[in-house]
Amino acid sequence: MAVEAETIARFRDGDPEAVRAVYREYGRLVYSVAHRALGSRELAEDAAQQTFVQAWRAASSFDPGRELGPWLATIARRVAIDIHRREQRREHDHLDDAAPTERALIAEPPDIERTFEAWELRRALDDLPPDERELVELNHLQGLTHTEIAERLGVPVGTVKSRSFRAHRRLAARLGHLRESTGREPNEPTIRTDG
Amino acid sequence: MNSDDDRISYLAGDPAGDLDADEQAELDEFRALLADPSLWVEPAIDLEARIVSAIAAEAQPPVTARPPAKVINLDARRRRVGRIGGIVAAVAAAAIVVVALAVVRQDGDQGTEVALAPTQLVPGASGSARVFAESSGLRIELNATGLPRRDGGLYYQAWLKDAAGNLVPIGTFHDGDHVTLWAGVALADFPTLTVTEEQADNDQGSSGRRVLLGTVETK
Repeated sequence: MAVEAETIARFRDGDPEAVRAVYREYGRLVYSVAHRALGSRELAEDAAQQTFVQAWRAASSFDPGRELGPWLATIARRVAIDIHRREQRREHDHLDDAAPTERALIAEPPDIERTFEAWELRRALDDLPPDERELVELNHLQGLTHTEIAERLGVPVGTVKSRSFRAHRRLAARLGHLRESTGREPNEPTIRTDG
Repeated sequence: MNSDDDRISYLAGDPAGDLDADEQAELDEFRALLADPSLWVEPAIDLEARIVSAIAAEAQPPVTARPPAKVINLDARRRRVGRIGGIVAAVAAAAIVVVALAVVRQDGDQGTEVALAPTQLVPGASGSARVFAESSGLRIELNATGLPRRDGGLYYQAWLKDAAGNLVPIGTFHDGDHVTLWAGVALADFPTLTVTEEQADNDQGSSGRRVLLGTVETK
């Protein structure tokens, strides 16, 4: 997943087609990062918009040799923190009345440190074939069993199981990459697959 | 089944098998992420257009009219009105080609004019606002056309926005014909005027669904 240097150069110039190209490549990922930090569709959209505007303003300082995604994720994280703080201030105009554990006094949104894990996982999900992605969504997001998924999709349970194993093998390969690239695990990834 | 297969199966929701507690905990983190709705959520369809419009608005340099005349007499005023007419015509022409272009004209007691450009949500909309400094705050006279009337718990809301994205609500209305708004902040600090679609849902924040946008050049 990458945007060509020529597109980035046109993005820097504000070329609408280049802006659309960058958004289509990274928009859902930026939005996912913002939503994870803010927990609100509206605030996440506001954050995503601010992220791309700030990226455009700062594009002249971006090294075309780097990958654009992590750079955008960093901006999205910072924007989300700013919006989170703003919203907390708005909800608690009188901080003297707030308890010490009040969220308004906490600088960081919840789970923000896991932003990059979610980012990588979202990329992995987006790379799955549609039928496998749907199955993973039914399994994890909706909490359905293999039998329930088979009924929902109208396919044999055996098909669901084999498709599920294949999908999770692909994800596992990406998760192994995640642990390696973020330095969370200094050793070789323990999941080795051909996915 | 080897260890990798055990881990993949556990990730897919099968029993842990021979996996030790550390391996389970590690995979549980990813299972928790996979079950997080934020991972799956999709942005609004119009978000792309809003981002393109916002960048286009900033990418285009604002058009600023000449400074106000210091000596006022009838002849000068007539000449100025003529010049202003020319400027307005130029602005109207520019607004056709620029997605979101803000125009400011400061003319003494005539206030500061802000041209409002549409977004992809209501591309046929247009409008302008004139900002007057009163002792109680900023009085903003807004006129917009092409916005469908919103009733029954639906309405428009106008905002002033600063460079950091902080929003100050300045009023709500059903349609854009002769709307008076009030603001208790300085235009120099909050130079962007936006209008959004809202609904009475007890959410005081902006929906982000902007229908008009303009930025004041305060230099």
